[in-house]
Amino acid sequence: MNAQRISAIFEKDIKDFMKNMMLLMMPVIPIILALLYKQLGGEEGLPIPMLYLIVGVTFSSVTASCMMTMMAEENEKKTLRGLMLSPASFLDIIIGKSLVVGLMSFIALTISLVIVGIKPFLNVQAIIGLILLFLFFLFLGIGIGLFTKSIASTSAYLMPVMFLFGFTPMIDFLGLGEDSTAIMIADVFPLMQLIDMHDTNSWIPIGIVAIWALGAALFTYICFKKVRTDD
Amino acid sequence: MNNAIEVNGLRKVFDQNAAIEDVSFFVKPGEIFGLLGPSGSGKTTTIKILTGELEQTAGDVNVLDVHSQSFGTSDFKSKIGILSDNSSLYERLTIYDNLKLFCKLYDAPLEQIDVMLDVVNLREESKKTVSKLSKGMKQRVLLAKALIHKPKLVFLDEPTSALDPGNVAHIHRGLQKLNEAGTTIFLTTHDMEEATELCDRVAFLDKGKLQELGNPDELRYKYSTHAFHVETFAGERLVIENESGNANKIKELIENGEVKAMQTDNPTLGQIFLKITGKELV
Ligand SMILES: Nc1ncnc2c1ncn2[C@@H]1O[C@H](COP(=O)(O)OP(=O)(O)O)[C@@H](O)[C@H]1O
Ligand SMILES: [Mg+2]
Repeated sequence: MNAQRISAIFEKDIKDFMKNMMLLMMPVIPIILALLYKQLGGEEGLPIPMLYLIVGVTFSSVTASCMMTMMAEENEKKTLRGLMLSPASFLDIIIGKSLVVGLMSFIALTISLVIVGIKPFLNVQAIIGLILLFLFFLFLGIGIGLFTKSIASTSAYLMPVMFLFGFTPMIDFLGLGEDSTAIMIADVFPLMQLIDMHDTNSWIPIGIVAIWALGAALFTYICFKKVRTDD
Repeated sequence: MNNAIEVNGLRKVFDQNAAIEDVSFFVKPGEIFGLLGPSGSGKTTTIKILTGELEQTAGDVNVLDVHSQSFGTSDFKSKIGILSDNSSLYERLTIYDNLKLFCKLYDAPLEQIDVMLDVVNLREESKKTVSKLSKGMKQRVLLAKALIHKPKLVFLDEPTSALDPGNVAHIHRGLQKLNEAGTTIFLTTHDMEEATELCDRVAFLDKGKLQELGNPDELRYKYSTHAFHVETFAGERLVIENESGNANKIKELIENGEVKAMQTDNPTLGQIFLKITGKELV
């Protein structure tokens, strides 16, 4: 790891982000959603599951999606090769990109939550939960970004991530029975755990989300090993 | 200092097809060394092995006294410069921003950006977005990128293949200046004139095998028949062997004022390649 090289990658990717219309649209999505939801909320603000839906949309459409798109583009345009031949290590490249994606996610999430009501998130437990959730989506984005060779193919991978992990609270609107298997499985998904956390004050949900984040890190590591030995 | 590059018994197999077979050569520090061959002969593969992008199947490779096992280190990567055949730039960024990225990655001072922009004749265009550049201009930016950290040794894979003659001449002058300042250059090309003009030594590669290696002038002498080619005012073209028995014949032609032009046989590198491999270099 080398701070100067990480900052060089960060600077390049931030400039590139600002000139890429497709990426620039991503942080706008949760903000528009937040504005729409605010109309629904009325006086006493939105219920917690609705707030986490906005969190889920932010992390899937900004964090995971931008990360995989940026990595896929480096693969597709063959610029990754130039970086790999330079003294920058693969870790420098990933960290530089993650900082850009982290910054954009932070801005989009803060604006969205300020619109719909940021109060429920202003405590240590909720913030730790959000950070772990961010890491979970970031690792998914990196892992998928490692093997996508084109920007066009990223959307095929993004969809399941978005629907499974970004929109999990929507399962309540599908009209499934309270004790259906799907609902029980969805209950251990990271977003649902964080929603539960607000009712219990227990740290167990945080622990479970941490396990999800670790799992995603492991997934990224496996993708990395696989891509490396294939070449 | 030892040789800049040392290759012994190099072999590279891609799914049972040998792309490189038993190739051995060395490059001296300060040399411009040209690897010549038609497309598909293994030039790019050789460069990829020498720069650590590919691993050889067999053979010993040392570059700047570093063994190929350590080609993955940042230390080695910062010592060499590479213009690869298929690399590209960040299209949405300016020329300047592209070079700035690599300047910082290679830990070179930012003043180097303007120095390199002069070498490749792009100072005026530095604020232009790369997507708006012609192919030749992009190639020149890539060359600037490869040289930005003043590497001791540069690998250039077909550096002038996309350029028009004016730019080629400019780049050649830039490379010669760089070389005079002490940079060792390893380049591949299928352009024989380029090789003759630039290279101290050339190696001919065909189907992954080295066919010949030497100084261009010496090779041209070695493959010359040494015969005299004489054109007379009467329009005759005579080939007279360079033997003492023919001295009078030549003397007579000169005394009779018949000689319009006379040269010794002096094949071009392209003709030599054709002679050795039976192939044109394209
Ligand atoms: N990654 C690869 N996988 C399989 N075959 C390859 C690969 N790279 C190169 N080759 C083969 O190796 C041979 C030499 O290729 P290359 O080094 O690119 O030639 P050149 O640069 O002289 O045109 C060609 O026959 C090519 O098809
Ligand atoms: Mg090639």
